[in-house]
Amino acid sequence: MAPQPAARPLLSRRGSGWLGVFQAMASPCEVHVGDADLATAERVVAIAAAEAHRIEAKFSRYRRGNIVDEINTAEGRPVVVDDETARLLDYAARLHELSDGKFDVTSGVLRRAWRFDGSDRVPTEEAVAALLPIVGWDKVRWSAPELTLPPGMEVDLGGIGKEYAVDSAAGLVRPVSARCLLNFGGDLLALGPQYGGAPWRVGIESVAEGGAVARHIDLTVGALATSGDSRRFLFKDGKRYGHVLDPRTGWPVVEAPRSVTVAAATCTEAGMLATLALLQGGAAEAFLEAQSVQFWALR
Amino acid sequence: MKLVMKGVVGLLVPTAVALAGCARVEPWDRDVLARPDMQIVADPVEAAADEHIYFSKEASSGGQGFGGGGCGCN
Amino acid sequence: MQLKNRRNAALREIGTPLAAATCALLGQSAPGVVQAQELMPWDIDTSMLIYSESDGRVQDLSLNLWGRKELREDKFLGLTLAIDSLTGASPSGAMPANVVQTFTSPSGNSQYTVAPGEQALDTSFLDTRTALSASWEMPVARLGLLSVGANLSDEFDYTSTGVNARYARDFNNRNTTLSFGLALANDTVSPVGGSPIPFSPMLGLGDLRNKDGDQSKDVTDFLIGVSQVLNRHTIIQINYSLSQADGYLTDPYKLLSVVDPVTGNPVGGPPGSGRFGYLFESRPDTRDKQSVYALLKRNVGGDVLEVSYRYMTDDWDIDSHTIEARYRFNFGASRYLQPHVRFYQQSAANFYTTVLFAGAALPAYATADHRLGEFDGLTLGLKYGQETSRGSEWSARIEYYTQSGNASPGAAVGALANLDLYPDLNALIAQFSYKFGKR
Repeated sequence: MAPQPAARPLLSRRGSGWLGVFQAMASPCEVHVGDADLATAERVVAIAAAEAHRIEAKFSRYRRGNIVDEINTAEGRPVVVDDETARLLDYAARLHELSDGKFDVTSGVLRRAWRFDGSDRVPTEEAVAALLPIVGWDKVRWSAPELTLPPGMEVDLGGIGKEYAVDSAAGLVRPVSARCLLNFGGDLLALGPQYGGAPWRVGIESVAEGGAVARHIDLTVGALATSGDSRRFLFKDGKRYGHVLDPRTGWPVVEAPRSVTVAAATCTEAGMLATLALLQGGAAEAFLEAQSVQFWALR
Repeated sequence: MKLVMKGVVGLLVPTAVALAGCARVEPWDRDVLARPDMQIVADPVEAAADEHIYFSKEASSGGQGFGGGGCGCN
Repeated sequence: MQLKNRRNAALREIGTPLAAATCALLGQSAPGVVQAQELMPWDIDTSMLIYSESDGRVQDLSLNLWGRKELREDKFLGLTLAIDSLTGASPSGAMPANVVQTFTSPSGNSQYTVAPGEQALDTSFLDTRTALSASWEMPVARLGLLSVGANLSDEFDYTSTGVNARYARDFNNRNTTLSFGLALANDTVSPVGGSPIPFSPMLGLGDLRNKDGDQSKDVTDFLIGVSQVLNRHTIIQINYSLSQADGYLTDPYKLLSVVDPVTGNPVGGPPGSGRFGYLFESRPDTRDKQSVYALLKRNVGGDVLEVSYRYMTDDWDIDSHTIEARYRFNFGASRYLQPHVRFYQQSAANFYTTVLFAGAALPAYATADHRLGEFDGLTLGLKYGQETSRGSEWSARIEYYTQSGNASPGAAVGALANLDLYPDLNALIAQFSYKFGKR
């Protein structure tokens, strides 16, 4: 997908506040501002949009010349990364460890074998096995600030990027107004309630088509992130292959819920818990119960 | 009981014919069937109103669900 | 075993190190908070219905409220309230005549007259009915659904209480659903002026010698049905139901004219009553009904076609056929137009008789109530619905219902041959509904 030029966010009246809409990270992004003051709303939306576009430009694997591109084309040479990238890589490493290897930012190359277009073109065992040698965070040499990937391996921060962008934008918006809700493609964070203390009314989309709302949530403060497989799957011989892959085998996780939504203090944390839950497959609900977090799993 | 037999046979034959002609639809293909306007009773309020009207003006009732009744109108 | 415990222990620990790692990533010193509360809103539907028959007959205004709420996960409470206000006049069962006819009202306190050639409509027909129902629905195991309910309705001269239960079970990857239902009701009739002794004659003003007290009946309904997904676009349902009513099934306000078998003119009533001969009707005290119902619903390129057929037969020898079809034209995702057509045909009850002939032996049962006679009914309707920007939906429909039937064979003797013994019924139905959306 070719990179889009950053379009000006559109602001419109929403209740007693404002709503700014823009496109970033291949998702529709919304910034709800509870303040009635237009100038404040414009500043908040501009800050959030700018941060979303900055993170997208810096970490998207579709952009040429950014740090991710440099890492993925280094062909075995060490790459020195900046502080922000280093923190993300530290986080990725820690997640890899905490998830027993199920969460792996080097597993992106598996998309070469798996194209989840609803067809029955399931890859052969050989095709998947051929990719396994270039998948695995343990094969990577990461010693801040130097990252060395074996030739052929790639890093994909798409699994962390959107939620991180929400939190990062929220941090910049907070000094301007805390009566805001950021929603980047379904991953959202409320910095505080609306004007007058009323919570934000959000809905978790049903897994049945038609986009009906399955659950209504009143969010006062904090984040909700959703991981799900909606329409990305393959279907062959009576078996359904969801798009969440186990990097240790290269094959889809079995029996995962269709959608998992988690509530946490930050969007990144909520998103990671949702993703880690999906990676547990049939044990997703048990995993989340053990974490004592609020969650909604739809099957 | 003859009445009952007629009724049961009348039910089984179309059922067998219908079941023979069906595909097996998986949960992720239930998008169309999940639409509100595709539900067996798409508008319960309209269905209840009609059931009550026809119960009070005709000798038949029910069929889809339990037949109206509960009024002095028939 | 030990390995599993260690792994479980590792899972339990993830929350804290994950939060700590996230704080490090985001450069936050203190952990934040989250406050999220799931809502279980009420799903509310309201509607107003107007039913209006021509020729000064029945008028009904009905207000309805329908509510449903998820109380706990997948457990639903349903409540409905309906208030009906009935006015207008209803046929009493007596036939028109070439002379002025005078009838005593049900209470015995007043009388009304009917001009020659006019239909005998009882104008003292006005009532308000209130009906309440509650239901509870919950899943049973993974594939079952149980719902239980109770209903209560009350009007000036009639009270009904009932309970019902229904169990549905999915099979075949939820492509097939089998349902069983049972409903029990007990109705009490307290007719104005008392319930008339069957076949007793209509008496004069203030004379309630032939009136008795309250009556009751019990109704048991049983339903078994199967719904089947045929393919991605089509679903069918087939139901079989049985209904048994026991008790007072007669209409206390309906009567039959007694006429001369040659002239067709009304004969005299009891001496001193000042009335012609009218006998109160009498129906059997049991009724067994069976019906078979089939429905097909199909998605046709975004529109919806619905076709259904019902056959009913009972031990009063009434057979009926009902064919109904609706086609919903969907315009985009938020507007629709739905025409509707319904054909109905029923045969007369074996004790339906338009008039009684003087001098003939009295049958075991008799009624002149058109609703148990032989007639065809046709309904044509159109409904329009639209979703509002707030996710609510309103709809309006208008329907025209017409019934035309036949008097019993041999009834049109003498003067009766030139009178309308089975007038057509023409009714207009208008309903406006508003369904509140959850936003």
